[in-house]
Amino acid sequence: MVIAADHVSKWYGQVIGLNDVTLEVSPGITGLLGPNGAGKSTFMKLITGQLKPSKGTIRVLGEPIWRNPALYYRIGFCPEQDAFYERMTGLEWVSALVRLNGVSGESAMALARQAIEMVDLADAAGKKIGAYSKGMRQRIKMAQALAHEPELLILDEPLAGMDPLARRRTIRMIKDWGRSGRSVIVSSHILHEIESMTSNILLINQGRILAEGNVHQIRDLIDEHPHTVHVKADETRALARALLADADVLSLKFESGALVVQTGRPDAFYSRLTAIAASGEFGAIHEVTSPDDNLQAVFKYLVK
Amino acid sequence: MVTSNRPVPTIMTTAVRIFELSLGQMLWSRRSVFLAFIAAAPVALAGLIRFATFAEPRLLPQINGERLDGTALFGLMIWLLYVRFIVPVLGMFYGTSLVADEVDDKTITYLFVRPIPRGAVLIGKYLAYFVCTALLILPSVVLVYFLLVPIGGGSIGRSFPLLAVDLGVLAAGIGSYGALFAWVGARLKRPLVVGLVFVFGWEPGVLLFPGYLKRATVAYYLQGLVPHTMPQEGGVNILFQVFQEVPPVPLSLAALAGVTLVGVWLAARATETREYVLEQ
Repeated sequence: MVIAADHVSKWYGQVIGLNDVTLEVSPGITGLLGPNGAGKSTFMKLITGQLKPSKGTIRVLGEPIWRNPALYYRIGFCPEQDAFYERMTGLEWVSALVRLNGVSGESAMALARQAIEMVDLADAAGKKIGAYSKGMRQRIKMAQALAHEPELLILDEPLAGMDPLARRRTIRMIKDWGRSGRSVIVSSHILHEIESMTSNILLINQGRILAEGNVHQIRDLIDEHPHTVHVKADETRALARALLADADVLSLKFESGALVVQTGRPDAFYSRLTAIAASGEFGAIHEVTSPDDNLQAVFKYLVK
Repeated sequence: MVTSNRPVPTIMTTAVRIFELSLGQMLWSRRSVFLAFIAAAPVALAGLIRFATFAEPRLLPQINGERLDGTALFGLMIWLLYVRFIVPVLGMFYGTSLVADEVDDKTITYLFVRPIPRGAVLIGKYLAYFVCTALLILPSVVLVYFLLVPIGGGSIGRSFPLLAVDLGVLAAGIGSYGALFAWVGARLKRPLVVGLVFVFGWEPGVLLFPGYLKRATVAYYLQGLVPHTMPQEGGVNILFQVFQEVPPVPLSLAALAGVTLVGVWLAARATETREYVLEQ
């Protein structure tokens, strides 16, 4: 088992973050799906040893994780927060973190370069992180997580803010990582994202695991609900006109420089958006985000 | 592929790596820019005194019918500005924020999910603090020395050993205040408030009264190392009466070393065991 949680609860004072969770995660790619505040981040922090369970036990790769630094040789973690040493270049930052894994200077630099290439940031490796776009920042975070070639990669909302092409590349990379025999736990509040990486999901809401297993039944539910997507692009109006031509777009509006689209068929919409981004027809598409109220509606259905 | 059978590097090896990672961040932080201004203030003051006494030598105060010379002025500044104000203040601002800054910036996660003891993060950051603060304070002291000592015909060469001792005393102060506040910062939720009370309330307050309480201050032991003899007259005399009781040098050295080692150890231990909940 990659993760084994036995009656794990976590309280923050009077607030409960995770409530009596018992589960086992098998090797491979597993998606952790839940709206904001569901307990995803608490779960991620517990399985990465940043927090200690208030009750119960957690084992990662067969060992307890809390205060077990040796286990971090085998784990790579990409956190959700957009936090960096802004004055360092991407290469300096990743290699400095790899050095903390006991890798010496030259080898650390080589591993950092390799990881940065994997996330397609080689051209920007020498740039200061402060000058990176949101998508580039996400990718450099991924690079530091996988540079030391861990057995288990834990990714907290890794696709947030990425443009469609980077999103597609990252999804492919995560799948390749899984195919190479390593394990990945990836969290998201967007079913479509998780579904594109794995069919094995954990549904979490209000600190509890609601369901484990195959994604397809959940998928049928989500299709009944309009899915909202925010798109930031160079030519928002032209892009809006092109998107309106298709039946999967239910409504469109402009909100603080972004195009807000409601779609009834997220799969088809994301495919089309990726194709548009690749063609460059309407300039660059910088950022695609999806608020978690899509999933919130589905969860309301599930817990009814 | 690596396994967790691989041993975790020693605490000092990883502390050195954290030090390398942190020093640049610390040196170019907004806090350092602000504190550089504090460290520059005595230099500006010394420059002003030098300029004023060059124009009008009678401006120097007299004690027992003799004018204070540059060496005595330098000693006054070491005592009043550096030992009693700048070193504790810098120690407090940096020491309490060693881990807190990384927590506030949410970058601590990257360090805590590496195969290193958490205590090494604190120790590495403490070492970076020490070097960073020394780089801010010690050059300022040297400049003040060169500006003040020649006033009244003082010899830079002759009093140079005094400067070396002063630099050593300030380094000891940086080390011990930093360690103490590192522990406060690692242990408490509002470390800056505790630090301010300690530096501006407890230390000056307790030193004013006779008795044993002053032994619970860092300043008391630092005073035992300051080599300057203070002038003894009038208002100045009253001001320095409070500093007259000084411990012997070996006791001061042992006490400061103890504060430093125990402070760093307690801070590292607190960092090892504490959960850091980052705000979303």
